[in-house]
Amino acid sequence: MTDTTAPAVQLTDITKRFGDVVANDSVDLTLDRGSIHAVVGENGAGKTTLMNVLYGLYEPNEGTIAVDGEPRSFDSPRDAIAAGIGMIHQHFQLVDNMTVLQNVVLGHEPSSRGLVDEQAARRRITEICDTYGFSVDEHLDTPIEELGLGIQQHVEIVKSLYRGADTLILDEPTAVLTPQEVEGLFDVMEALTADGRSLIFITHKLDEAMHAADDITVLRDGSAVGTVDAAETSQNELARMMVGREVLFDVDSAEGTPGEVALTVDGVTVRDERGLEQARDVSLSVREGEILGIAGVEGNGQQELIEAITGMRTPERGTVSLQGRDITELSRRRRIEDGISYVPGDRLEEGLVQDYTLVRNALLSNQTMDAFSDGLFLDWQRIGDHADEIIDEYDVRPRNPEATAKSLSGGNQQKFIVGRELERDPSVLVAAHPTRGVDIGSIEFIHQRFQDMREAGVAILLVSSKLDEVQKLSDRTAVMYEGSVVDTVDPDDVTEEELGLLMAGRARDGTERAASGVEGDA
Amino acid sequence: MSDAATGVRSLADRIADHMLDASVLERVVIALVATALALLIGAVIVAASGYDAVEFVSSLVYGAVGNASNLAFMLRQSSMLILTGVAVAVAFRAGVFNIGVQGQFVVGGFAATLGILFAAPLLPNSSISAVPLMALAALLALAAGGAYGALPGMMKVYAGANEVITTIMLNFIASGVVYFLLDAYLRPEGAAAPNTEQFPDYVGLPGLVFESPSFSILGLGVALLTVAVVYLVMDRTGFGYDLVTSGYQEPAAKYSGVDPKRMIVRTMTISGMIAGLAGALFAIMILGYYSDPNTFPTFGFDAIAVSLLAANNPLGVIPAGLLFGGLDAGGQYIGFTLDVPSELVDGVIGLIVLFVAAPELFRAAGRYTSLGGDRE
Repeated sequence: MTDTTAPAVQLTDITKRFGDVVANDSVDLTLDRGSIHAVVGENGAGKTTLMNVLYGLYEPNEGTIAVDGEPRSFDSPRDAIAAGIGMIHQHFQLVDNMTVLQNVVLGHEPSSRGLVDEQAARRRITEICDTYGFSVDEHLDTPIEELGLGIQQHVEIVKSLYRGADTLILDEPTAVLTPQEVEGLFDVMEALTADGRSLIFITHKLDEAMHAADDITVLRDGSAVGTVDAAETSQNELARMMVGREVLFDVDSAEGTPGEVALTVDGVTVRDERGLEQARDVSLSVREGEILGIAGVEGNGQQELIEAITGMRTPERGTVSLQGRDITELSRRRRIEDGISYVPGDRLEEGLVQDYTLVRNALLSNQTMDAFSDGLFLDWQRIGDHADEIIDEYDVRPRNPEATAKSLSGGNQQKFIVGRELERDPSVLVAAHPTRGVDIGSIEFIHQRFQDMREAGVAILLVSSKLDEVQKLSDRTAVMYEGSVVDTVDPDDVTEEELGLLMAGRARDGTERAASGVEGDA
Repeated sequence: MSDAATGVRSLADRIADHMLDASVLERVVIALVATALALLIGAVIVAASGYDAVEFVSSLVYGAVGNASNLAFMLRQSSMLILTGVAVAVAFRAGVFNIGVQGQFVVGGFAATLGILFAAPLLPNSSISAVPLMALAALLALAAGGAYGALPGMMKVYAGANEVITTIMLNFIASGVVYFLLDAYLRPEGAAAPNTEQFPDYVGLPGLVFESPSFSILGLGVALLTVAVVYLVMDRTGFGYDLVTSGYQEPAAKYSGVDPKRMIVRTMTISGMIAGLAGALFAIMILGYYSDPNTFPTFGFDAIAVSLLAANNPLGVIPAGLLFGGLDAGGQYIGFTLDVPSELVDGVIGLIVLFVAAPELFRAAGRYTSLGGDRE
């Protein structure tokens, strides 16, 4: 029996651990029938893990799942689908060279006398499309690869509805869409809830959460910080909840004595793989012995900007200069050799080769450094010594250079990367979230290192979604919102509330403002 | 979990641990025992099919290592398999699937042939021309094989064409075009078969240890030297680190300054060069002329199995190549001495490969599951 007054989904006390890492820490979430519940949080806050628990991909270590008031346990997505839960993944689960029709019915083909009953499938799909205003039925015989991402997403939703989903999980559905397509999606979401279906909407874009959702739950570091009514909250309240505060030891924040301009970014526009403009006409400069912090909610163009600086990505327009020399056309490797170190935000994929030992990882991004080769051949002895040094200096555990990177905890991986990039003696250091997932003691240590580097005259560009980190370390703070630097402020003259407002695309006094490329030089 | 299940699990863990930690020596022993075991089972199957199992097994061994001439034949096949195997391994290690070694091999051999046929008249007709002529042939083979490997590399990078498909197609194209050129332009007047004329007598590798017209220990030397160079480059140079890292984890390679597109083209070029060199060795050492590539042994395809058996490790290609060469020689010997169907011979050989590969598969499975605990 389905209890129609019970919440569509009720997660109670969900805890999910991976080894020592707690991805979800007794999280509660209640999805009311016919409502949209947004789950917001930084990357790594545990949103996707929580949804994978609900979708039967992970088994929670603790906690219970109730659907329509009935306790359930899911061993696989098959169970979740049977319970009426559908998930629209960020990366669509569609077969590119099969038609829309084939994709929708895949695995759930209606059959008559052992043959696929295509006509029945067409009728069902057309019915669904008519109910919710999809135009998917116009493309039933078109291969997926010929359709735009917006339509592909509709196909995903239709596929879930076709399988009888009552509750839909949308994992960052707007990330791949143009603004017009986002509007279309919101219309669809509204139609779905009007029909009594319930939606979980995962995003890290606060305005979208406020615009589309009824309730908003904020996750941070695996815990639910709180659930608020979308109508009664504000973007800066959400921003504060998301980035939170961490108790940090107060490092003596000695004022740097900035020297010459080391790094200049001038009018840089960067597109992502999908061709969407992520950073727009950004200009900023960093001096020797200065830390420029970039604050902003993740996904506002910071990543693409620093990839353009470090040579991972070619900007569409604009120039990047190192000590007055245009390096826009230089390869990533040349930029490393010219003294740009980079602590990447993605340590699992980019910062370390997971199957390599720490010794082999100590060479990553150092391949062409003279210190590690004698002319033709690599000097593994010296590379091994270097790995030992990093392990010693940065307190990497276990203290075993022959351990593989993947056997280390996230914090220790991060310390190893920071050590490797700092020990190269760079003239410019670009760091993305350098203390993410690192324990508090190590955070302090890494911060101390950054300040030492600043004193040694290194120009540091620090991207972090932790406001307190940016506030503490930066000499100047540039705030990015929707791809542009909206303001550059002196951290001593601005409160976290004001920064939160800027990060949410508002002026410091809370009034609406249009995002515009403000010159980043102080 | 019940006690019994826990016990099974911990036993599985222990076995997995042991397999993952096996030393090189242990692996060789494991491979030998696996071969013996497979031969035993193969013998039972042969006997059950109504043939003489003892004769079968002894012929298989005799055909490989029974006398000097059989051994020479085995080493000849092994040399080719080691060279083409290492060509495959280079590409696979970098995460590029070069299935086109056969085509690069054919094109390389053809380029070497052209070099010898066209340059020989320009040089004195005596043995002092041998070394420069063969050096020229080798260089041309490297260049042609490399170019024929680079082509699918560039097609992948600039047009998004899957290299597995393009290299397979290019195999057919190589054989077809080379056959056409041989048939139309290089066949001597009045000759029936589409073969080129014979190379000058002085072109060829001296037998030295073995009195075989088609095998020289120098050929094996070329193969082993190539393996040594590839191993050194992979393990001891920055370029090798770039290459192997690209295969393990491309985003990390890119982060560290590797240009992924250029790396794909370079990898394919190097792989093709080695395959081309194998082609030159085939033309000079084995044939002494060039003929219809469609009739050539499929070293370039067997090389894929050799490389996989070696876990794409260049050093591992040596024992793997020797095993395949030995089985090939033994199998062929059975084919023309015993009245056993060739399907049965192939079946038993397949069984041996399966048994030898199984511990490696087990090891690979161990790496991808949590069995065996943390590997630190």
